[in-house]
Amino acid sequence: MSLADQELIVEFVTESLAHLADSERQLLEIEASAPRINVELVNTVFRAVHSIKGAAGFLGLHAINQLAHHLENVLNLMRNRQLEPNSSAIDTLLRSVDCLRSLLGNVEQSNEANVSQFIDALRSLESNEAAQEGPLAALDGAAPMPRADASEAGHTVTGAVATPPTESSIRVPVHLLDGLMSLAGELVIGRNRLLQAIAEEDDRELETVGARLNQVTRDLQAAVMRSRMQPIGNVFTRFHRVVRDLSARFGKQCELVVEGQDVELDKAIVEAIGDPLTHLIRNSFDHGLETPEQRMLSGKPACGTIRLTATHQAGGVRITIEDDGAGIDGGRVKARAVARSLITAEQASAMSDRDALRLIFLPGFSTAEVITELSGRGVGMDVVKTNIARLGGTVDIETNVGLGTTIDIKLPLTLAIMSSLVVRSAAQRFAIPQNSIREIVRIRRADAASRIERIKNALVLRLRGQLLPLVRLGDVLGIPNAEHIETVIVIEVGRLCYGLIVDGVDDAEEIVVKPLGRHLKDCLCFTGAAVLGNGRVALILDVGGIADHAELAKPKGRAGANDRVAHVDEIAQQSVLLFANGSTERFAVPANQVKRIERITADQIESVGGCAVLQYSSCALPLLSLEHFIRAAPRPQCKRLFVVVFEVAGKELGLLAPRIHEIRTVPTKIDTNSFREPGVSGSIVLDGKTVRIVDLPTLAAMADPRRHDPSTTQSADLEPWPTISPLFQDAQQACVPAVVGR
Amino acid sequence: MTTATFTQSPTEQLGELHLATFRVGKLLTGIDIRHVVQISRVQEITPVPHAPTSVLGVINLRGEVVTEIDLGVLLGLSPIEITAEARQVIVLVAGEPVGLLVDRVADITVVRRETIDPRPENLNGCDARFFCGVYQQEAELLAVLDLEQMLAAVGDHAGPS
Repeated sequence: MSLADQELIVEFVTESLAHLADSERQLLEIEASAPRINVELVNTVFRAVHSIKGAAGFLGLHAINQLAHHLENVLNLMRNRQLEPNSSAIDTLLRSVDCLRSLLGNVEQSNEANVSQFIDALRSLESNEAAQEGPLAALDGAAPMPRADASEAGHTVTGAVATPPTESSIRVPVHLLDGLMSLAGELVIGRNRLLQAIAEEDDRELETVGARLNQVTRDLQAAVMRSRMQPIGNVFTRFHRVVRDLSARFGKQCELVVEGQDVELDKAIVEAIGDPLTHLIRNSFDHGLETPEQRMLSGKPACGTIRLTATHQAGGVRITIEDDGAGIDGGRVKARAVARSLITAEQASAMSDRDALRLIFLPGFSTAEVITELSGRGVGMDVVKTNIARLGGTVDIETNVGLGTTIDIKLPLTLAIMSSLVVRSAAQRFAIPQNSIREIVRIRRADAASRIERIKNALVLRLRGQLLPLVRLGDVLGIPNAEHIETVIVIEVGRLCYGLIVDGVDDAEEIVVKPLGRHLKDCLCFTGAAVLGNGRVALILDVGGIADHAELAKPKGRAGANDRVAHVDEIAQQSVLLFANGSTERFAVPANQVKRIERITADQIESVGGCAVLQYSSCALPLLSLEHFIRAAPRPQCKRLFVVVFEVAGKELGLLAPRIHEIRTVPTKIDTNSFREPGVSGSIVLDGKTVRIVDLPTLAAMADPRRHDPSTTQSADLEPWPTISPLFQDAQQACVPAVVGR
Repeated sequence: MTTATFTQSPTEQLGELHLATFRVGKLLTGIDIRHVVQISRVQEITPVPHAPTSVLGVINLRGEVVTEIDLGVLLGLSPIEITAEARQVIVLVAGEPVGLLVDRVADITVVRRETIDPRPENLNGCDARFFCGVYQQEAELLAVLDLEQMLAAVGDHAGPS
């Protein structure tokens, strides 16, 4: 085979696979709209198969050509309305497409593969003797090249559903390549200027060139990253098929709703997230969804829903898998964990349901009473969690018994380059990924005694009325610590928060992540290493691994004790964000209900359908003015103002506040008589002035009575540590709001 | 396991083996030169907490992060002292570069395969598992290292006593 031929074949395979990737989804859509025939879609699939057939014939790939030919015939009948796209016909088509794909995956040997069974099945459809059982039964497990498939779970290993082979080539828009080329050109010019400046010892020129190179490097980095970005929809499409096959096989009805297919992620992450997601979706299907009869009994529609959503969030991507099934019973989880001796009965009784949920991430845990074909083989959520952690992401779970379960995954956009904070411990430097840092707290020596406490050998920090478990980095790594605790990095891993004590903070640095060698694979406190600007190597801390090492996340450790402590503490005091609306009146909101604060200008406020909204990261944030809901003096006209962003029932809302004063720790005991009204939970007296406490959930309900019913919304201050997330940068001193826009 | 594990190569077919030799304590030892990427002065090493005892840490080798191993500790001898003569030998094993710290670089020796004797049970008190044979060079023995075997044993906590 000549070189040119080989190139042609590679191109043919890439293109054909791209065609087929869409075909699967389209076939499923055709099935969904049956008995009406969506001729447009059938045509699209037909065209894809047709072009594969043509090219295969030209390249001498008989098997592919033959199979495509018969597929084409069947599709032709379908578009001429001579064949109904019933599930048996679609099944045969899907399996033939699968076969076609596996032939393409091994194109060199494709001519030797036996495809006669598929062709026979397609023929019987062609001759309109589409017997319901015939073609299907003939096909079971008959793929010419073994391929794990959901519907063949009986024969194959679990967890390996339809994983497409890692593609060795990707499509990149030409304009991106052009951009890269011109940046490479600028880089060369920059280097030449740099060499000249060094030769001439021209310091001023050096500075200019340095700045220019900095700019070019950044653009280059961004452009390369963009060229690696792939829509997550590439992974999502295959789940329609997974859910369809599972439904057919296990007699449950389930609809998969997919949102946010356009969200883009680094190619490496898109490829690696497929398996964990498959596992989670199968779990939701198997453990979450009830049978149609059970669902009817509990007053739910017979058909369950799994909702798969991807959104951009805080410089990363968030994927949620939401089912409306039975939910997870904390009691059962605990019982199972005790039965498997993962925890003791005492630990179980001291554990909150939320902590109990985390038990399912422990190795060797499985809740299914009966081990089914689908899941319950002991390789479960712990593998999912490890795989996601390897991608630098976190996974969390939330459940409502009887209503459903939500799995929440957060992923970084890219693996290769990340922003980090370089910290010191002893003389060593370590990098911490910025996306896991919530804030940095500096503790004055004078305050150390009052803010840091020791409870049962565990250090805790008093932070805005909460107790934050502390971990000394030196202790974890077995290197000496500084004597005084001055700098605490508040780390957020999923729902877990802890303070990492370091000796000092150096600088923020963009680092290129390098893997550690095979001899260091057991060092679970590090995710990799990076070469810093000074040429030295710094290890990148695995904040999850450190929490595990310090036994923060494990139920065996101190988590139970912390919960109780935090709870007691919360009764005593809470921290509130103080702000003004009119000129004199003062208001407060509990700081733990505030997600973040944005600074905006008045002209950024839009009016849509009589409601004020703010365009923020491509979605509209509804804005509330206090005076519309409670007795308050109207807000004066002002050019700049703040938006206090809070979340109720998963929806973000913004409260307009012209002036923000400070964050204060106040007693939780408030006067609930004098100024009580809907939207105001009570008042306190601070510095001789009355401050009214705004009840955010009620306010949200008043703003949109359909959406937010406060009775079903769990108020954030009922939850003990560690769910609360006020996102202020060192709010002890001052509040530095994030600025919207650039 | 008594068979030597050299991969087939033209040199081997000719019956000749090129060995980069160096000293670890008193021991004279050699590595098949095809594995050696470079030999250089010891550079700054970043220690890695929780690493196996023979791993000194990681170094920046032209932008790549490379694991640095103390060959003295690994062979069960005393740790390498970082003197002016100490060197790091970067070897490529299983596609991954690894730095080996040695006391002193000796020479490059060409030996005929048939002149390599099977390894003795004990070699100056270090673990014989890591050698694929010995060669009588003038008055002393040159121990030929089995790199793959040796580097696979890095994580073993038991290690040579």
